Amino acid sequence: MNEGGLATPFRERAGRAMRDAFLQEALTIATRKFIGLRREAFDDFPEGDALRDRARAIKEATLQRLDHHLERLVASVEGRGGRVHYATTPEEARAIVLDIARRTGARMAVKSKSMATEEIHLNEALEAAGVTPVETDLGEYIIQLAHERPSHIIVPAIHKTKGQVADLFTRALKRRVEADPEVLTRVARLELREKFLQADLGITGANFAVAETGTVVLVTNEGNGRMVTSLPRVHVAIMGVEKVVPSMTDLMVFLAILARSATGQKLSVYTTLVEGPRRAGELEGPEEFHLVLLDHGRIAQIAGPLREALSCLRCGACLNVCPVYQQIGGHAYGHTYPGPIGILLTAMLQGPASVKDLAHASSLCGACVDACPVRIDIPRMLIGLRREVNERRIASRRERVAFVLLGALLVRPVLYRLAVRLGRLVQRPFVRGGAVRDLPLVLGDWTRARDLPPIAPRTFQERWATLEREGRP
Amino acid sequence: MTTRAEFLARIRAEMQKTQGLFAASTAPRPAQPRAAVEAIRRELAERWPETLERFRREFGRVGGVFHRAAALAEVPHLVAGIAREREAHRLVAWHPAALGGDLGPALTARGLDVLPMPPGELAEAAERQALRARIAEAELGLTGVDLAIAETGTLVVRSGAGRPRSTSLLPPYHVAVFDRGALVESLAQAGVVLEAWHAAGAPPAGAVVSFITGPSRTADIELTLTRGVHGPREVHAIFVDAETRG
Repeated sequence: MNEGGLATPFRERAGRAMRDAFLQEALTIATRKFIGLRREAFDDFPEGDALRDRARAIKEATLQRLDHHLERLVASVEGRGGRVHYATTPEEARAIVLDIARRTGARMAVKSKSMATEEIHLNEALEAAGVTPVETDLGEYIIQLAHERPSHIIVPAIHKTKGQVADLFTRALKRRVEADPEVLTRVARLELREKFLQADLGITGANFAVAETGTVVLVTNEGNGRMVTSLPRVHVAIMGVEKVVPSMTDLMVFLAILARSATGQKLSVYTTLVEGPRRAGELEGPEEFHLVLLDHGRIAQIAGPLREALSCLRCGACLNVCPVYQQIGGHAYGHTYPGPIGILLTAMLQGPASVKDLAHASSLCGACVDACPVRIDIPRMLIGLRREVNERRIASRRERVAFVLLGALLVRPVLYRLAVRLGRLVQRPFVRGGAVRDLPLVLGDWTRARDLPPIAPRTFQERWATLEREGRP
Repeated sequence: MTTRAEFLARIRAEMQKTQGLFAASTAPRPAQPRAAVEAIRRELAERWPETLERFRREFGRVGGVFHRAAALAEVPHLVAGIAREREAHRLVAWHPAALGGDLGPALTARGLDVLPMPPGELAEAAERQALRARIAEAELGLTGVDLAIAETGTLVVRSGAGRPRSTSLLPPYHVAVFDRGALVESLAQAGVVLEAWHAAGAPPAGAVVSFITGPSRTADIELTLTRGVHGPREVHAIFVDAETRG
């Protein structure tokens, strides 16, 4: 299975994914299933629509007073004996975690699924520093054994067959493991249980952090989030600054829509509210609690064109409904965050130049806006990115010339009509079965994977003109 | 390294550039959370049977197993039945003060190997380590419940003295005992209770609140649902008709 490394152009990565028969089947099954589950969950939940609007309004209100809420969060976490760190860049975030690991003499770190730690490539840094990172979400564990990256925000190993997983386990554990999900899950439980009990460091992300109470909120189905925050001596949580919510009352609004959007559950199995290190009287829990607040391009978007993307809950609903994601899966996007929202987050983290191809990997159909629990207008921002990519001349010369020519044609009716007539002549040899097929040269890029409707024998404009002459419109 | 002052200054600088484009408002919080909780309790005192029925239905939907007992004294019999069917013997239980009663002798009399949790923390690291090893071997975990949310079939448990986090997490079978005092109707009501738990002057508690909605599950391999990946593979809730707590 390919990783879709960035050395290969997007077009090629996407092409490879579309020729991968297993991936195609897995994507179809998974995305259809999640779409169905999400729809059922909201059909049974009449107040859902209003809650989505409320959730969005809370995110917006939090952003408008982000400094205040972060200050509250910091004060509450410190008041409970936790420490807060500030990371502008991924390098800084990694250095903070490595420093904690070094100071506490940590040899092994257990992690619960966290996109923020993926985003800063923490595992490589830990390994280089002699700390063994162990991913404990089953999907992430599989991905780690395979040395790959997640291909879906919610189901990271969506692209793997049980046979492939069995082979990975067999190699890692040096004993034959049956290709049965039940058996594989049991094996992973035993294997990872040992790690939970041995590890010195627990590393998590945060789905939310409640400013008022200093609470880091983790949402999981497996229970690894609870393990990681209960058993090791030290807990480090890494979160983007936009994850803060003001109060517990606000948190409940998000919990009511997050799992429904992600997996169709009313709530995920475990919602874990962590408030600092072990308290007096507690038998278990970490002695140290650290919260790392991560910028990595987010702060610049408070007043930037991608501001809306700061409301994202990372539920993955926009991936499942996206006709492009459904075809190419997560790896072809080539970055930490796949799918429609992933394009925006990649641009946020790495700048618009990093998405010069990806900005076009969308049909702008708007299915993502409908699915998004906080109604982020992804197509609007994608169009903005396309414009920026064009204005800053990041796009290829061929593409820019093509769009300049098209633009010139569309604003000149005489030329446009002429082009239509010309096109009708030129298309003749290529029209088969009601569609233009197998165009030559660069135009073939379009028709290779799609049908192009031919120019009609009589265009709408021509028919309209006729009607007008006959006085019938 | 970025300091807190630098970090916040950059955020403020960006905030000044924009008013924000979209409708903005936070959720209205209860002004007097403890009074609001009392109001919820009074309201539920009338119609708790419906709330319990809704909880039972939703808890079953998420894969939980519901039981009912007339009094706390009947609980050991139910727990022993659950253990017997699963050929499980080793049980860890919250401290009697946290559980609302000492069920140890009755459970032991029914053939269970009971490990009660200490009332508070253990000072000696070696002692803690030894206890943890025994907890890790347990097959059943017996806990109380702080909130039972009917809307979602969720059990909420707070960590604290005598109520370790691992009791509801490490054993493959989790049995939770609750009464009508724990029932709330919805997530929104649970939010009011959470506000009260965090209000100034609230009694001290542990550092973790766990929402548990059914058994541990995953669908990470070919979307095949499997249970008990890290947490318990079964969750049982025993509702006790006679109130177990004040």
